[in-house]
Amino acid sequence: MERFFSASAPAKRLLKAVFKKILIANRGEIALRIMWACRELGIATVAVHSEADAESLHVKFADEDVCIGPARNSESYLNISSVIAAAEITDADAIHPGYGFLAESAHFAEVCEACKIKFIGPSPHVIRLMGDKAKAREVMEQAGVPTIPGSRGVLRTEQEALSLARKIGYPIMIKAAAGGGGRGMRIARSEEEIRSAYQAAMGEAKTAFDVADVYLEKYIDDPRHIEFQILGDEHGHVLHLGERECSIQRRHQKLIEESPSTALSPKLRKRMAELALRGARAVNYQNAGTMEFLLTPDGRFYFIEMNTRIQVEHPVTEMVTGIDLIKEQIRIAAGEPLTSAQDDIAFTGHAIECRVNAEDPETFTPCPGRVTTFHLSGGPGIRVDTAAHADCVISPYYDSLVAKVITRGNNRAEAISRMRRSLEVMVVEGIKTTIPLLRRILADADFVEGRISTHYLDRFLSRSKSVAAVS
Amino acid sequence: MRLAGRGVERGTALDKEILELIELISESNFVEFELEREGFKIKLVKAGGRAHLGGPSVPVAQALDAPPSPVPLPMAAVIGSEAGPRLHEIKSPLVGTFYRSPSPDSPTFTEVGRVVRAGQVLCIVEAMKLMNEIESDIDGTVEEIVVSNGQPVEYGEVLFRIRPGEAAP
Repeated sequence: MERFFSASAPAKRLLKAVFKKILIANRGEIALRIMWACRELGIATVAVHSEADAESLHVKFADEDVCIGPARNSESYLNISSVIAAAEITDADAIHPGYGFLAESAHFAEVCEACKIKFIGPSPHVIRLMGDKAKAREVMEQAGVPTIPGSRGVLRTEQEALSLARKIGYPIMIKAAAGGGGRGMRIARSEEEIRSAYQAAMGEAKTAFDVADVYLEKYIDDPRHIEFQILGDEHGHVLHLGERECSIQRRHQKLIEESPSTALSPKLRKRMAELALRGARAVNYQNAGTMEFLLTPDGRFYFIEMNTRIQVEHPVTEMVTGIDLIKEQIRIAAGEPLTSAQDDIAFTGHAIECRVNAEDPETFTPCPGRVTTFHLSGGPGIRVDTAAHADCVISPYYDSLVAKVITRGNNRAEAISRMRRSLEVMVVEGIKTTIPLLRRILADADFVEGRISTHYLDRFLSRSKSVAAVS
Repeated sequence: MRLAGRGVERGTALDKEILELIELISESNFVEFELEREGFKIKLVKAGGRAHLGGPSVPVAQALDAPPSPVPLPMAAVIGSEAGPRLHEIKSPLVGTFYRSPSPDSPTFTEVGRVVRAGQVLCIVEAMKLMNEIESDIDGTVEEIVVSNGQPVEYGEVLFRIRPGEAAP
């Protein structure tokens, strides 16, 4: 891989001629992460920031910076015309959107295109297509990528729910079409349960979203969240960089990610990777993206969605492949071809990422404030991506991510022990963080033995609550 | 804002330095103080051995006809002492490029020393090819035009300083 992706063949690289300056339309650790990649490539950077972020590190370390609005997201980081105007007054040739904010806005990508500023990401068309979950599913089905069996649209009658459930098998889930956050969601494990589940989901959907529309799909007990990292260039080449296991999550917020997954046999990994690539090729995917799947305990898997951006957890892939995904994104956007073949990508060792959030480790209530002490671990196999430092303020306006601690070991056990020692000496004072919770999970036998699913964290939390109650 | 190629660093750090400077001069025996650095000039004048706090306001008619001269800033305007009103700042509501006239050939919207009314257009900030007219939100006299024509401005950057007062009859 090195020989294809490293800067060892600069003569062939057109990059410097293509991008002289990149505007980073984000904040926090990912803005810094992108900045480091730009620096290594010799590209100047422009930071944009809200008034609340004037003292942030991404502003201090950028070559140029522009205040684009007040603290509120909608008036700053999500304000397309401000971001574009900042790129125009600084003469930036490209914009890296990071994750969140405008990263998956097809409209923003279109505006960039119209303003002759290169959007570092896939085409607006693909962003829109994958952003529409129903359409994305349709495209994947046509490409032969398995999706969760269910109703193709809104259920019209209870009878329809019954006959469909009979066809796909129990358990099934009835979900609000406009849903989210678990509301308007009911599980039925038998015909008897369908009736009440259908009525309850509709009622809840009506109350919560003012639309009683519900649909039905197969419910998967104890699934794992497995995603594949994809890279595609503008010349039709698509690669995968292996999987990430992201099952440790709470309300769809991932907390710990790792690569490789303990659940994939070489055969299953190959099969999933093939289908991930097939899906990405079906939409002529360009730049970095992620194909997300649910994996059942018996080894079946279903496409859930494709994320058309760099992911928070991208470092675990970087740690096991040695590939700098942000640099690859920039090179791809600059029109360079991926010259490597899939077989050139080597996966070595095991990597884990823990997200240190400014949250109460018991209640998960966000805990913004001033960090008084900030100490990080170091040493072999440790990487920390953060924009925090002693005396910094974790703003109440933005997400609660304080730092990502990533460790790599020759095997999973080594990666875990490195993570443990890393979190043992990591000190963040002044705010509450998820560090105590992360330490407990890393000491949990189920986690250590890889017995995890997307239900793991809820079970872990209720278990530790009952333990606390007993003692 | 830090923009490559722009000599002057704006914002709170500079404002703070000026305030400190004014305090020092106010307490000293100096009557006049001038400092010039690359792309930046400041002149402070004291009246009657102490800081010139407000003083008689300039008659409106005179101000209207007065050429845009670099009138030494009355200190009260900057430090906002109890004796005189603080200068009102018009800040850029968006990121873009600052223009003092509607087109390159037309006259400027306003000049230093002119009287402006609330709602009157003071300048244009162009963003994404859209010309956004920036209006004064008070009646008063233009004391300072902080940004030069064609210069990029960021959100919240001070464009004008206006001495609050009666609009022309």
